[in-house]
Amino acid sequence: MSIDPGSMLTFARFLFAFTIGSHILLVSTSIALVILISISEFLAIHRHDPVYEALARRLSKVFVISFGVGTASGIVMAVELVGLFPSFMTLVASTGAIVLLYAEVSAFFLEVLALVLYVYYWNSFRGRYSHWIVSVFVVAGTLASAVFITMVNAWMNTPNGFDVTVFISSGFKTVTGVEPFSAFLTVSTVSQVFHVLVTTLFAGTMVIGAYFAYWFVRSRDAGEKAMYSRALKILGVIAIVAIVLSGISGSEEMGTLLVNQPLKYAALDGNTVPGTNLPDRFFGSVVNGSYVGGISIPGMQALLARFETGVATLPGLSQFPPNTWPPLIVSTTFNVMTVGGLALGLFLFAFFVSFVRKRRPYESRRFLYIWTPAAVLAMLVYQLGWATDEVGRQPWIVYNVMTVAQAANTSDALLVPGVIIILFYLAVIPATFYFYSRVFQGSNKEATA
Amino acid sequence: MNGIFEVNYAAFSVFAALLVTEIMGAVGLLIAWPSRSKVLDYIVPVWEVTGTFGAFWVVTGDFAYPGLLVPVSEIFTPLLIIFLILWVARGASIAFAEFITKRGWLDEEKLFKSYAVATVVLGLVVLVLLSALVGGQGVSLASGSFSIISWATAGSVVFVVGTLLLAVGLAPVLFDLPALRNLVLPSTGLGVILSVLSYWLMSTTLLTPWMGVPVLLTLAVGALYAWRRTSKIVTNKAVFLAVLSVIIFSLQPLVYPKAVGQALPIDAVTTTGAMADAFFSITVVGGLLLALMLSLYVAVAARGPSGPGL
Repeated sequence: MSIDPGSMLTFARFLFAFTIGSHILLVSTSIALVILISISEFLAIHRHDPVYEALARRLSKVFVISFGVGTASGIVMAVELVGLFPSFMTLVASTGAIVLLYAEVSAFFLEVLALVLYVYYWNSFRGRYSHWIVSVFVVAGTLASAVFITMVNAWMNTPNGFDVTVFISSGFKTVTGVEPFSAFLTVSTVSQVFHVLVTTLFAGTMVIGAYFAYWFVRSRDAGEKAMYSRALKILGVIAIVAIVLSGISGSEEMGTLLVNQPLKYAALDGNTVPGTNLPDRFFGSVVNGSYVGGISIPGMQALLARFETGVATLPGLSQFPPNTWPPLIVSTTFNVMTVGGLALGLFLFAFFVSFVRKRRPYESRRFLYIWTPAAVLAMLVYQLGWATDEVGRQPWIVYNVMTVAQAANTSDALLVPGVIIILFYLAVIPATFYFYSRVFQGSNKEATA
Repeated sequence: MNGIFEVNYAAFSVFAALLVTEIMGAVGLLIAWPSRSKVLDYIVPVWEVTGTFGAFWVVTGDFAYPGLLVPVSEIFTPLLIIFLILWVARGASIAFAEFITKRGWLDEEKLFKSYAVATVVLGLVVLVLLSALVGGQGVSLASGSFSIISWATAGSVVFVVGTLLLAVGLAPVLFDLPALRNLVLPSTGLGVILSVLSYWLMSTTLLTPWMGVPVLLTLAVGALYAWRRTSKIVTNKAVFLAVLSVIIFSLQPLVYPKAVGQALPIDAVTTTGAMADAFFSITVVGGLLLALMLSLYVAVAARGPSGPGL
């Protein structure tokens, strides 16, 4: 019995969404971890603080697990893209987008070689700062990998560096006018990379922080509490900086959308018709061409848009053929993301005020009890941010060039292995987080013994 | 000469050499767990590098042969997905194993053995893929499909057996196991004979005078180890890896100028024009960075590991 191509297309979408959704859990925590390790080691050396030293050493073990599983998962995605969306990858491989992937692998080399030196040759360096500098290389490699892969996504949103007209008119057979390095800087690259980096760091920081918050509250060992407190202090500062930058970069990102992807902008803001004095709307829905229900703040959207971009007339869905509209659920995911981000901002503002008043919020049970649900919300907001970006581009895989349906492999031979991959990830991701904890706590016992 | 093919094949050679050494170690973990320390000393700092070279090969392959991605997807996706599951299993189990402390039923031994099983099965999947890419058995380019039943010809099976014998023969060299010294030359010799036979069974055109290079190099490794006074040369891990990479690199006539049973001319599917120029530019820049990092790695590693820094 064969499965119809439409169902396989849906399955291909779901499989990749599931894989990348799982993968970014690892990526966000990896980025937060490696930055925490580097800062901890620096403070250990600078302040001669053995607690920071122990924290850096114990976390470096956790990072190896994170790197190992994350790398394997990254390769799964690279190969899965070829299997699920071969025509898309053919376009990628024929244009500058592949140069970005090549650059990403180079960054990956930097990360892996530095990581091996950092972890396995910790005491082989002549000076402590020399060893710490290697951690900076690990951070640089990790961040550069994230930057280059986000650049590929920016290129999918605003493709450049080849003749689109010739490519489409040739039935996706001829790629001409290739400028391989132009993919490094599309019109959306700067704002998207900025936003993705800080939100990824933020989500990972909150999740790692939740772990320390939980153990700080639970532990009765003064030495352990001192370590969790130090970790939370660093993570609290990172989270405050990252949430502020997330807001700024998110606003910048909306400005870029308004100019370069007006349809996506209209879908996110629920603009059914264009206008000059449009309100900001939350949690309503589009019914029969009109936005109904929810909350509106009159004139707010127009005000923000004019402030960010100078654009006075905002786009509406009615300007575009309905068959090119993304699923309008993106308006809701966008609202949850925005309101969730604001709630997290308020929590961290209170944390910041307490910090400034020297109330030690990183040791306050009140703050630490809230941190865990806040971390869940942060990860939800982060995942919804990606969902909004990807679903908001539908039906396109490469905006205004190739649809997902045109790119996909709809062979039903993918079904069984695809289901196995999903089941496998369902086991591996929780196991990975379980091992993070077990290894961190196991190191504790080794150190105490 | 096709420079892009050479770069991609060089990346493959290093990746394959690293993977083969991991498979050798994995077999060692499965059959001789009590003497695992020599194997783990090698594998533990290296497995992350293997993965990175794997990613490097995949990406340079995408870059080099954009027109092949659709047929590869149609033909090999189920096999590739099995590969991917094993790949994650391998990475996850060794990452967990490295730092696990015993609590409950799960311990270091079980996790390292899971890694070993995943790696060995992964190796078998890779051998099936490689033999199909070389001889074309089981592959239908016209219908875009792969059949494991059609793959199972004499040539393919002998290819797998020959390669496994080579791995068994060379493993005592890599891990310097004098107790198995007498196994090295017979197993390596038989592996070489079966490998050459498999190429002949796949297609007589695969047997060119160039094939003498990998044959002689492989036998030389075995011979150098068999003689005690020269064994130190080849038991050096860096030397062994370098020679193994060269051996695999010298096997390129199996897939160039034509692969998949002489049905796929490589030059015709290689990227050209501005993309080819970009490929070389970024390879030079990336290669220099990699060389710098590897130099630092070798310089620090020469001082010896200082525990897992922990």
